Amino acid sequence: MSAALLVRALRQPATVEHLDAAQWNGLIAAAKAERLIATLAWRVDGMRLPEPVQPILRDARMDAAREARQALWEADRAAAALAPLGVRLVVLKGTAYAAAGLVAGQGRFIGDLDILVPRSAMSQVEPALMAAGWEWVKEDAYDDAYYRQWMHELPPMIHVERDRMIDVHHTILPLTARPKPDADALLADAVPAGENVWTLSPEDRVIHAAAHMLADGDLQGGLRNLWDIHCLCSEGGRAVPDFYLFLFERAAFHQLVPAVWRALRLAHDLYGTPVVAYRAPITVDYRLRASDRMFIARLLARDGWGRETRKLLVFAFYLRSHWLRMPPLMLARHLWTKWRKGHRPR
Amino acid sequence: MRHSLTLQIGPATFRIGSAWRQPVEELTRLYAGYPDRHDAIADFTVRLQPTGPLRRWVRPSILITGDHGLADAAPMSLAHGLLAAEMGMNLQMALGWRRHLLLHASSVEKDGRALVMTGESGSGKSTLAALLGERGWRLMGDEFALLDLDSGAILPFPRLVSLKNQAIGVVEDVVGAQRMGPMLQATAKGDIRHLVPRPDAVARMAQGAMPAMLLFPRFGHDAAIRPVGQGEAFMRLTQASTNYVALGEPGFAALTRFVTDVPACAMDFPSGEAAFDMIDRLWEDGA
Amino acid sequence: MPQEDRFLKPIKRYRIDPRDACRACALDDLTLLYHARSGQTHMVISPVPEILDSIEDGASVTADDLWDRLTQSYDLGDRGEALAQIGAQLEALEALGLVRAA
Repeated sequence: MSAALLVRALRQPATVEHLDAAQWNGLIAAAKAERLIATLAWRVDGMRLPEPVQPILRDARMDAAREARQALWEADRAAAALAPLGVRLVVLKGTAYAAAGLVAGQGRFIGDLDILVPRSAMSQVEPALMAAGWEWVKEDAYDDAYYRQWMHELPPMIHVERDRMIDVHHTILPLTARPKPDADALLADAVPAGENVWTLSPEDRVIHAAAHMLADGDLQGGLRNLWDIHCLCSEGGRAVPDFYLFLFERAAFHQLVPAVWRALRLAHDLYGTPVVAYRAPITVDYRLRASDRMFIARLLARDGWGRETRKLLVFAFYLRSHWLRMPPLMLARHLWTKWRKGHRPR
Repeated sequence: MRHSLTLQIGPATFRIGSAWRQPVEELTRLYAGYPDRHDAIADFTVRLQPTGPLRRWVRPSILITGDHGLADAAPMSLAHGLLAAEMGMNLQMALGWRRHLLLHASSVEKDGRALVMTGESGSGKSTLAALLGERGWRLMGDEFALLDLDSGAILPFPRLVSLKNQAIGVVEDVVGAQRMGPMLQATAKGDIRHLVPRPDAVARMAQGAMPAMLLFPRFGHDAAIRPVGQGEAFMRLTQASTNYVALGEPGFAALTRFVTDVPACAMDFPSGEAAFDMIDRLWEDGA
Repeated sequence: MPQEDRFLKPIKRYRIDPRDACRACALDDLTLLYHARSGQTHMVISPVPEILDSIEDGASVTADDLWDRLTQSYDLGDRGEALAQIGAQLEALEALGLVRAA
């Protein structure tokens, strides 16, 4: 299984020196499919690599560097658009890691710009962005109502000239999800990263990444999300002695202990994240639970051609992600509406 | 995947996997003269896979994907498997190649200098390149011209030449049937048939050439030639490039150098014969 | 903003952030600017390259200041018209992120 090969290469880069050509092909295909190819390139930098591998990894790093540059530019433009409102720009995920210069940002694929703004400011943020050239991606009544009524973000917008998307969140989970993170606290504790850009606090970054991966997602791109968590925790733990205590305290405050705990167990098992166990003041261990094994099977479901295997498991997680977000009746309605439009999980 | 092969075309290596035997067999026959890269580490993975669980057997339907795929790519019938494989490779190049500036253009070489022809589908650039390749020029490629970021040279990408509709008969009359692939009827772009480049074009596929002229051919119009300004050439080439933006500043430097160094003309032509005369004259005067 | 503020609005100043400096290439009929921070290529004609050149030093300028600077090297014709054009260009350049409000 090439996903397992990828996990091992990220965890112990020196092991790639012993791969044969077929394994390299599988590793590269999996890394591209999981959007971890540039991360892999960073990790194996300095290792003895076969000659044909070197330009592939060089290209990936160049792409990632350009993406980071463009992501920071999008953040700069959004900050300029929101400056007159007195709303400070809090960026999330990849853009945040790049802005703060974190290890998690090294080689990270960055897609859309994700920002977090106070819910009370949403009605001003929308026109301010539109005045600066962003527009709605699609005019679809159902999706629009769905977003506004139930989601934690505006429907996606795209910039007319730069062709880049922005997702405006007012909290980090859909309003229908059971946990209710405290969005005001997320904003209040944000830390500056550059002259006009802010990011979540180190603990909140991990909590958001875990919520995004486990309480919100169908585990598409899960290996990358988990790699983010691994990097954020490793760096956080190096900077602050009791990082994991603060993390659990904060997770409890946001009602997200189960997601964070599971994320740490998975990251520790797959990537060897140096988590810290406690007996007091709280009891935390990182032994895998039975259900964790299903998550791991899902995360590693990719073959030597980069294809997703275990279709049923993938589908089960797709259903689960909607279950987590929505009460059952709404779930039926939403899936029905999506399926009629021909949407299927990949 | 059940059937696979690894191909090298110009500087790029493709690992192609298929759920069916037929596309791989056809590729093996048509690319027989290309370097054998069995077991190589490939730049790209291409997959021809069934669009659904039953589609390997029942009305087989091919989904073209790989490292890069398009969300809305139309599935293709197994009869067009060869075309699917070619499109799969093109897709990887168009979306993933970073080592050169990729121009959607054909190119031919004579005396160490390259003629680059770009235009939309139907402009005649592929047919002209194929025919010039049989008339003393070296065919460098019919689809992608690779502009080297450091040297400014054009590098070949001599995959099979894809001929459409009327061009098929015109070229077959010149080269004979043995260098042609199977006739693929009623594809989304009409009838398509592939031409195997001459052995010389394949043998020299690592050899670049400095560009000496840029042409914007347009088939089906009265013969006319007009010079194209640098600004217009730049704009049209950025539109003809799938990786100009991705390459960033090196791409900008390479493309501005190209349009300032290489004279550009738009050429309308009513027939192949007329085009050859015009190209000969332009080549002697300008290049 | 309230009506009366519009008349009290301070005269806007602009400057080039050194990080926004562009790589320029003059072609026969226009100028290309490559802006590294955004990865965008801008195709411009006079007076845009001249405006950018004249504030390359990073000074913060008003449209009036710019007119003073440009008029030393170029014949700008009617001052009122030229000022309006300079002001419009500065606004467009700010929207692109090539100059910033100072």
